[in-house]
Amino acid sequence: MNANPVSTAESTHNLTLFVAGDAPRSQRARANLAAALARLGLDPATTREIDLTADPAQTLAFGIFATPALLRIRTAGEPEVLYGDLSEGPALERFLVLHEPRLDA
Amino acid sequence: MTEAAEGLVKRATGISGLDQMTQGGLPAAGGTLILGRPASGKTVLALQILALAIARGEGAVFVSFEESRRQVLRDAASFSWWHHLHDEQRFELIDARPTPGARVSGEFDLDGLLAAVGFCVERTGAHWLVFDGIDQLLRRQQDALMASDQIHGLSNWCEERDLTLILTGKLSEHSLAPTHLEGIEFLLPSVFIISTTLVSNQLSRRFRIAKYRGSAHITDEVAMLIDNDGMHFPYAIRPTAAAGPAPNERISTGIRRLDEVLEGGFYRGSTSLISGQPGTAKTTLSGSVAAAAAARGERTLFISFDEQQAPVVRNLASVGIALGEPIAAGLIQFHAREAWDGLVEAHYHALQQLIHSFEPDCLIIDPISALLKADGADSAQIAIERVLSTTRARGITTLLTSLGTQTDPTSEATLSHASTLADTWLVLGYNVRGGERNRSLSVVKSRGSAHSNQVRELILTRQGIDLAEVYEYGTEVLMGTARMQKENEEAINRRLKRLEDDQHQRALEQRIEQAVAEAERLRLELQALEEERSAREHSAQRHEREVINRRQPLASKSEHE
Repeated sequence: MNANPVSTAESTHNLTLFVAGDAPRSQRARANLAAALARLGLDPATTREIDLTADPAQTLAFGIFATPALLRIRTAGEPEVLYGDLSEGPALERFLVLHEPRLDA
Repeated sequence: MTEAAEGLVKRATGISGLDQMTQGGLPAAGGTLILGRPASGKTVLALQILALAIARGEGAVFVSFEESRRQVLRDAASFSWWHHLHDEQRFELIDARPTPGARVSGEFDLDGLLAAVGFCVERTGAHWLVFDGIDQLLRRQQDALMASDQIHGLSNWCEERDLTLILTGKLSEHSLAPTHLEGIEFLLPSVFIISTTLVSNQLSRRFRIAKYRGSAHITDEVAMLIDNDGMHFPYAIRPTAAAGPAPNERISTGIRRLDEVLEGGFYRGSTSLISGQPGTAKTTLSGSVAAAAAARGERTLFISFDEQQAPVVRNLASVGIALGEPIAAGLIQFHAREAWDGLVEAHYHALQQLIHSFEPDCLIIDPISALLKADGADSAQIAIERVLSTTRARGITTLLTSLGTQTDPTSEATLSHASTLADTWLVLGYNVRGGERNRSLSVVKSRGSAHSNQVRELILTRQGIDLAEVYEYGTEVLMGTARMQKENEEAINRRLKRLEDDQHQRALEQRIEQAVAEAERLRLELQALEEERSAREHSAQRHEREVINRRQPLASKSEHE
C-alpha cells in the first residue's frame, strides 16, 4: 500500500462518486472508496461526490443512472465507470490503480 | 382514466385493440411488463402509447437503456405519430445506456435514476413512464434477486406517484421468463407477452395478456400488426352485433332475370356468395352488382385479389358494365391486393380500415377464397367471419366470390366457410355439350326467398348479362347452341302447327259456308215444293168444286121431270 498522496493538480475532478443521499449502498460506497484510497496511498481530495437526489439534473448531465457509481474521466476525455457500493476491494483497487497516475509511478 | 368495477383504476393507451383486451387500459398506478424477443415490437408499442398520450395532452418520460436518443427518435420517425415525441414540453427521452466498458463492484440501485426521472416527470407533468430494456443495466447486478428488488422498488415508486409504468424485457429463447429479470413477472400487476414466428418467411406477431391482476381481460392470443400507424390488434376489436330487425328491402343485382329468380334481388345488408371455377363470370356478376349500386347512388368498396383495376374495368366494359364513371365519381372504390403480400390478419386489418374509412353501402371481395392462399391461412375463417360480422353490424350488403374446381366448384367456398355464412349462394359453372362450353348459374340457397333451384344459362353479351329461360330436354337443361337449335326447332314446329291450324280452320269455314249455301238452296227447294204442293192442292179443290157444281144442276133437273 502506498501512502503517498496523489498530486491534487493532476487529479482534480478525476474521480467522481455519485451517490443517492444517505442510502445504505451509497454510505457503503463512501466508506469503501475512502478505505481503498487510503490503502493505495491515494489522495482522497481527488474525489468529489455528487448527490443525485439533491441535484438530479447531474444524472442527465453525466449519464450516470445507477448509484452508487464511481466515474473517472481519462486524460483523453473518455469516461470510465465502476457501478456498485465498491464492496469488492480487488475490483475497486484495479479500477483505481490501473488508471490512476500515482506520484511515485 | 377509467375505473373498473372492481376498483382498479386504469389509464387508456389510445390503442383501441389493446384497450379492448385490457378492458380500459393499463394500471394507472403501477407497472406493466412487456416481454418479447428482439424485433417483436416492444419498444414501438411503448413509444406509441406515449405518443398517443402526448397527443391527448398528457406528459410522458421514456428511459432508454439500449438505444441512444437519436436512435429512438429515428426508429419512431417512420410512424405517423412520431412528431408527438418532439413535444419538449410534454416529453422527455432519457438516454440511460450504461457507459461502455463499465464494471461492477458490489450492489447498486436505481435511486439516482429515479431522482432524475422524478425531475423529468415533474417538468413534463408525466403520467406515463417507460423503462425500455432495463435488463441492459440490471443484468450487471451480480445477484439476480437484487434486480427483482430494484423493479419492485421502481413499481412502488410509480404507484406512489400515480405513474403508469411500462417495462420492456427480453424473452428467453425457450421459456416465458424474462432474461436477466427473473421473477419480476410475479412482482408486477400486468404482464404482456409478444411472440414472433416465421410463417412462410413472413414475421407473424402474436400478443397475449399473460396476467392482469385485479382486472378482467381478454386472455386470447391475438395477432399484432405493425404499419405506419403503429401497432394494431385487429382481432381484439369485436364487431358490435347488428341491432334491430333485418331489412326487407331488395336491391337489384343489375341483372333483371336474376332479380326475378331471387324475388327482387339480394336483401339489403345480406351476404351473398358466388362460387365457381375460373372464367365463370364471378367478377362480371360482381361488377354488375357494383354498377347497379352506383346507379342507385350507393357506395361500393370493391376488393380485388385477382386483378388490378384497369383490366377489370376494361373487361367489364366489354359486357356492357361501365365502372369507370362511378369509380371517377367516388361511388366505387377499387382496391387491388395480392394474397401473398401479407398475412391473413394484415389483409383483415386493411379491410377493416377501408370499411371504416369509406363507409360503403356495398362490399365486394373477389375472391374471398384468396385468403386461403395468404400466409397464416389457418385464421382465414376467423377473418372472414369477422369481416361479415362487421358488414352485418353496419348494414353493408356484401358479395363474396369464391374459386371452385372442376370436380368441386364449391370446394373453396366450403373451405372458407363463406358458404355457411352467406344468405344467398349462387354457383356458376360450365355446361359442356355438343363441343361447346356454356356458363350456367344456379341458386343453391337464398334465405327468405322462394327461389327456383333450376340451373340457368348465363349469357354475356355486349349489351349486358342475361339469364336464358330454362329449357328442359328430358332431364337436362339445354344451353348455348343446343338450346338455340332446340328453340329454333320448336319455333318452326309452332309455326307449322299454326299454319296447319289455319288451313284446317279455313277448310272448316269453307265447309260451313258451303253448308250454309246448301241449306239456303234446300230451303228454297223446300219452299218451292211447298208452294207447288199448295198450288196443286188448291187446284184439286177447285176441280172438285167444279165437278160438284157441274153435277148438282143435272140432279135438280131430273127431280123436276
